[in-house]
Amino acid sequence: MKKKITALVLSGVLCAGLLSGCGGDSGQGGGRSGEGTGQAGGEASAGANTGGVDLSNIFSGELEQNVTIRVLENDTAIEQGYFRELIDAFNAKYADYGIVAVDANMDQYSNLADDGPYGYGPDVLYQANDVLMKYVEGKHIYPVPAESLECFSQIPENAWNAYKATVNGVQYYMGVPVNVQSSMLYYRKDLLPEDWETTWDKNGNQVPDMVENWNDMYRYSREIVAKNDGHYGYMRSLYDVYFSSGFLFSYGGYVFGDNNTNADDLGFSAGNAEIGANVLLQQAALMNEGCIDDSITVSAYSKLADGTYFATMTTPDVYTLFLKELRLAYQAQGMSEEEAGALAKENLVITEIPKLPASGDLTEENPELIPLKAMGGVNGYAISAYTKSPNACLAFVEFAAGYEMMLRRNEMLGIVPARSDVADAVGGVSEIMYHNLDAGNIVVMPSIRAVEQIWTPGQTFFEDLAKDAFRPEAEKKYKTLDDIKNGLASVDVQIYDAVHTLAGTN
Amino acid sequence: MCLMGLGQLMYGQVGKGLLYLAVLALGIAYFIFRGGADLAGLFTLGTREADTWLGIEGDNSVVMLLMGILAVIALLLLAAVHVSNVRDARETQKLLERGGRPATFQEDAKQLLDRKFYKTVLFLPILGVCVFNILPIVFMIAIAFTNYGGSIVPPKLVDWVGLDNFVQITTLSQFAPTFGRILGWNLLWAVCSTALNYFAGLGLALLLNKDCVKGKVFWRSFPILAYAVPGFITLLGFKFMFSYGGPINQLITAAGHRAIGFLDIDAKWIARLIGLGVNAWVSIPSIMLLATGILSNRDMTLLEAAKIDGATPWQQFRRITLPFVLFSTTPVLLGQFIGNFNNFGVFYFLRGGLYIDGYFLASDTDLLINWLYNLSISNNYYNIGAAISLVIFLITSLISLVIYTRSASYKEEDTFR
Repeated sequence: MKKKITALVLSGVLCAGLLSGCGGDSGQGGGRSGEGTGQAGGEASAGANTGGVDLSNIFSGELEQNVTIRVLENDTAIEQGYFRELIDAFNAKYADYGIVAVDANMDQYSNLADDGPYGYGPDVLYQANDVLMKYVEGKHIYPVPAESLECFSQIPENAWNAYKATVNGVQYYMGVPVNVQSSMLYYRKDLLPEDWETTWDKNGNQVPDMVENWNDMYRYSREIVAKNDGHYGYMRSLYDVYFSSGFLFSYGGYVFGDNNTNADDLGFSAGNAEIGANVLLQQAALMNEGCIDDSITVSAYSKLADGTYFATMTTPDVYTLFLKELRLAYQAQGMSEEEAGALAKENLVITEIPKLPASGDLTEENPELIPLKAMGGVNGYAISAYTKSPNACLAFVEFAAGYEMMLRRNEMLGIVPARSDVADAVGGVSEIMYHNLDAGNIVVMPSIRAVEQIWTPGQTFFEDLAKDAFRPEAEKKYKTLDDIKNGLASVDVQIYDAVHTLAGTN
Repeated sequence: MCLMGLGQLMYGQVGKGLLYLAVLALGIAYFIFRGGADLAGLFTLGTREADTWLGIEGDNSVVMLLMGILAVIALLLLAAVHVSNVRDARETQKLLERGGRPATFQEDAKQLLDRKFYKTVLFLPILGVCVFNILPIVFMIAIAFTNYGGSIVPPKLVDWVGLDNFVQITTLSQFAPTFGRILGWNLLWAVCSTALNYFAGLGLALLLNKDCVKGKVFWRSFPILAYAVPGFITLLGFKFMFSYGGPINQLITAAGHRAIGFLDIDAKWIARLIGLGVNAWVSIPSIMLLATGILSNRDMTLLEAAKIDGATPWQQFRRITLPFVLFSTTPVLLGQFIGNFNNFGVFYFLRGGLYIDGYFLASDTDLLINWLYNLSISNNYYNIGAAISLVIFLITSLISLVIYTRSASYKEEDTFR
């Protein structure tokens, strides 16, 4: 009998093992219908014949009462405490309606297209434009009545364009821009030559030439490297498509044709993009092998702090990390925390990216300069098409994109606000970036699904290009501009293949 | 015959008959209210596309496919119950013909705890296996014959496409050369890494089994520590170690030499060798533990006899220890081979994110499973992914089957019992 009882127990254990993959999300999924199309259900069908959707059928303006909306924010906002502040303020304002915003408590990169149709997924999502816009094709997110929002007039058209989509011939705004992301130059003021004001400021504008144009940065880097003491001028991982592709865009390259909407037209090799790639190749020659892979991406903070690098390029949201490392470096030299902090703030400068020579020749004296068109992104909020409370969600988005919260977001997270009034109020980097976005010097990442395919081919090319600077003369692959052009053309082919080859099965 | 339980009822087995009848009633009710539509949905995969903006719920092809397969499984289970019903009625009839009497419900129930206890024990696990093991496998196989993926994901409707996916992956001009290159490297990798891990693990176990080794527990703990660290953490650690900014290159540059691109775009064979080494680091401890257990069961008298007969240590290993360990571990060895053949992590973490010239959306260290990832998962082409998975399954199962059926472990299964 004992054996039989054991056998029954074991079979029970086996069944339990089989069931172990089930459940787990019941807490999150609880209370959601699964197919819930929210308030839009049925009412919006009137728009079907016209090809467009009457947004008032989705967003009636009547707030749903006693509902909970789940918001997916980015991890940094949660970690730094901004998100808690945001939902607390929102919940207090809408307490009378019983609307409660909570953390969706999901991975920030979770896929709404996978989760939404089955009743999971957040009601409101905060992500980059390329991520949010891939949900448009399956109508996983709702179009928003942007013009009726208070923030509409405060956000520049370029930022709104990142969220524009045409569905059935009608144009919609699919999200609300919150902040702009692009590249900035970080450098150490205390590592400038002592006599820079007399020898490195030709135009006398009190800004060192080496941070104003890449030719002088190249000249200064060469001087530093010539000392052969393990120090470098400008350094960064060149393999990174996000930072390196801007050099191609500045000379006529682009990602997709028709303003980044046509995945049939690849443009990494378009125009004179090879000149931009050649600029990167010239820069690589004055760096060490760390520029080939991504290992210096993380170490750049400490390398700038210990003076190994004079300058680097990255996004403005990591300013605090550079600052912290520099403060620690000063403290290690014997300064007090206060002194070190103040000196770090004074010496760490974040500024606009230097201008490029129109010729692409970094050794040219007195070149004609052109602005660098850097790749950028616009992060924003979108509303899930599976939410049961679209009006409450819209209220949340409007609240989060309001002046007060944007200002607070900037203070706590160092982001560059998409709102012009906030950018004006905070000034500094935000103002510069805002100006660049307005002037078209920030090329916003494409908002079509095919953008997922640009990274690996691009990364491979830039890695190969950077490596070329360290290959023996006989083994070099990119000896002429034509070689570079061919390399870029093969990137276009690879992206095209990745996007289209398998699409034939569908 | 047509009506389940009728035979039992006619022989006066009311309880059992009603039970069979209830199962039939439940089955019919399921197929009327749900299963019938699910079966029909399996063929159509939906006819009405959902539109969240217009509030149209529509059909979800993926759910329909899943529920359709479940309905087929339910139909098969119902058929199996029906067969058991017929068999039971026939046995009762034969019993009556031999002059016996039909068993009562209580007697049948008792049998389920005695002679037919295996049925009681296995009922729920079999049901579980059908739903949680067979269903996902059949679902994956079915996906290979649909156009699910790319832009065709719910709410869009998925459709059956027959063998189109297989035709696509075999006729695309870019595929064949890359497939050949990757398959060749994949086979070499699987054989080399399995052999290296196996013999290094066995060697380590033998070494730590020697009487002359002091502090065995202490030494044994090191490989176990390496084993305890999650694999991907180890892989990322090694990636950093071999990167340009990593400690190995720092030592090299500090010594006045140029940094070496261990894993960069030109490092085909160096990267492959590093992959073998890192995989060995991750896998050897498990083989060592396994071999340590098996070695403790060795018949030491055989070894002593061999020693007396003048056999060298190498001869003892080759003629006695290795056949003994190999016999016990052939299935594990095969598992290791399949695991290494489909080892996604090593090159994904060490050298992912590269497309090399001459390869179609792959690098020269990618295995088939990495290529499958690049082609399908990165692009969400689940249909192509499923089709390539089936091809990989065919290759690995064929190799496993051939090796296993030719091994001593299979041919002389009873030798060590």
